[in-house]
Amino acid sequence: MAHIAKTHRSTFMQIAIPLAVAAALIALWEGGVRFFQVPEYIAPAPSVVLQVFISDFDNLMRNFVPTLIESLLGFTVGTLSAVLIAVAFVHSRFMMEGFFPIAVFVNTIPILAIAPVLVLLFGPGLTAKVVIAALICFFPTLVNMVRGLQSPTPQMMELARILSASHSEIFWKIRFPSSIPFLFSALKIAATTCVIGAIVGEWVGANIGLGALILEATFNFRSPLLYATIFLSSGLSVALFTAVTLAEKWLVKWQN
Amino acid sequence: MRVMQKSRAKAGGDDAPPAIALPPPAVALYSASVDFGAVKALNQIDLRIEDGEFITILGPSGCGKSTLLRLISDLVPPSAGAMSIFGDSTEAARLARQFAFVFQSAALLPWRTAVQNVRLPLEMGKKMAKKQGRALPVSAQSPEELLEFVGLKGRENAWPHELSGGMQQRVAIARALICKPKLLLMDEPFGALDEMTRDHLNLQLLDIWKKTGVTIVFVTHSIPEAVLLAQKVVMMKSQPGAIKKIIPIDLPAKRKLEMRDTAKFNKYAAQLRKLLGAH
Ligand SMILES: Nc1ncnc2c1ncn2[C@@H]1O[C@H](COP(=O)(O)OP(=O)(O)OP(=O)(O)O)[C@@H](O)[C@H]1O
Ligand SMILES: [Mg+2]
Repeated sequence: MAHIAKTHRSTFMQIAIPLAVAAALIALWEGGVRFFQVPEYIAPAPSVVLQVFISDFDNLMRNFVPTLIESLLGFTVGTLSAVLIAVAFVHSRFMMEGFFPIAVFVNTIPILAIAPVLVLLFGPGLTAKVVIAALICFFPTLVNMVRGLQSPTPQMMELARILSASHSEIFWKIRFPSSIPFLFSALKIAATTCVIGAIVGEWVGANIGLGALILEATFNFRSPLLYATIFLSSGLSVALFTAVTLAEKWLVKWQN
Repeated sequence: MRVMQKSRAKAGGDDAPPAIALPPPAVALYSASVDFGAVKALNQIDLRIEDGEFITILGPSGCGKSTLLRLISDLVPPSAGAMSIFGDSTEAARLARQFAFVFQSAALLPWRTAVQNVRLPLEMGKKMAKKQGRALPVSAQSPEELLEFVGLKGRENAWPHELSGGMQQRVAIARALICKPKLLLMDEPFGALDEMTRDHLNLQLLDIWKKTGVTIVFVTHSIPEAVLLAQKVVMMKSQPGAIKKIIPIDLPAKRKLEMRDTAKFNKYAAQLRKLLGAH
């Protein structure tokens, strides 16, 4: 009983402590801006940012939705293709040896350098942003998934052989389940980076979306709107990350 | 190789006069060797294990004990010689689920509960069984009953990480029994356990052996364990891996832990220790 009470308290503290720290930092920021009378275009007070959130809500939402869609599509396309290619890699040495170096090479190109190329290729529409977001999700997922699919111990594989298991039985009963924890570590990374990919894509060529709004607010010296947009985009990342974490808790029950 | 195995298996049948239909031995090796490149892991092993026997294998580290079990279980092919499992090739024996393997690490699947792990052999090799037009052999006991049989009643739905090492090993034993094997191959199954747990599981294993009539080949590093369990101890030597001596253990059929304090037991232990020491 005492043990249960303790774990409850620790989860409470796990949430309470970061919230308290965040609240304190915001209070410090508000106090600092007021005390030093910092001009609004350099650093707006949190209260001003909050006001913009309310006054510009429609504008923010109009730009939020495209970024959300691009992020989600990019996440799905990027991680799904990485999973499929990882499966191909562990089933074929030729594929692995032929294509893994190429994947590594593509990953070494900075996303900011490749984004304009993709916008030129796919035009200013949705596709280019989805491709950029997908690209940024792809590599971590590929690497983790390959590791996960190769993670069964030699004993598990010998057991499968003694049981005369077929390739598909080995894949579905051993390789794939043992890759799930690795997959989720990758999905957590992808959940935050897909938003970055979408925003970078919008910087290069878009007139709508959080990325476009960030540029617009910066050039018009609308700092409170800029801050509100930044908070909204990091809020999106946090929300996606939380969704993946909850899905993991729900699906991966076998780990403590 | 396979062809040779088959022909030898048949030739083995000719050895016995047809008038008395002797049951084929559980395991028969005829100068079987295993090479890993330049390493001669097993060199010309001749071994006959009768149906229903309890054999333990002792030997210095690296002498090929695991390789011997892996040879019998069709995980490594012989590089020379011939062999049969219940009169069949090792491959046929594997396809018919004649044997089961218990590893030192329990090798449970962490994403399956205890009872789901026990059920695994029934879910694997289904394709193979279908292709051969036969059903997988299934124990009369359900997975739950098997867990109860190994003393894990009430822990059916526990995850492997929630079980102690000894409990995990019992799940592995229950999993090995689910397809009603005629031969149980065990590679240092209790090597990582503390002495009390090991004693307990030794008695339980003897009980399983008696109740099921399964043939057991058990590799261990512990001399007392080898003597306590076995009807015969196979002593191996290394470089190259070979059988040094086979020592029948003439102790009462019903083994008890207290036997380890008897003079006879200690004589066997001393003999084995001497054999193990003198390379
Ligand atoms: N897959 C392999 N490839 C190459 N060499 C191997 C392989 N498996 C075993 N060997 C070699 O074969 C020999 C016998 O190994 P084995 O694992 O059978 O020994 P063991 O008697 O089980 O040892 P231990 O008591 O330490 O478990 C060793 O020299 C080992 O290095
Ligand atoms: Mg070994």
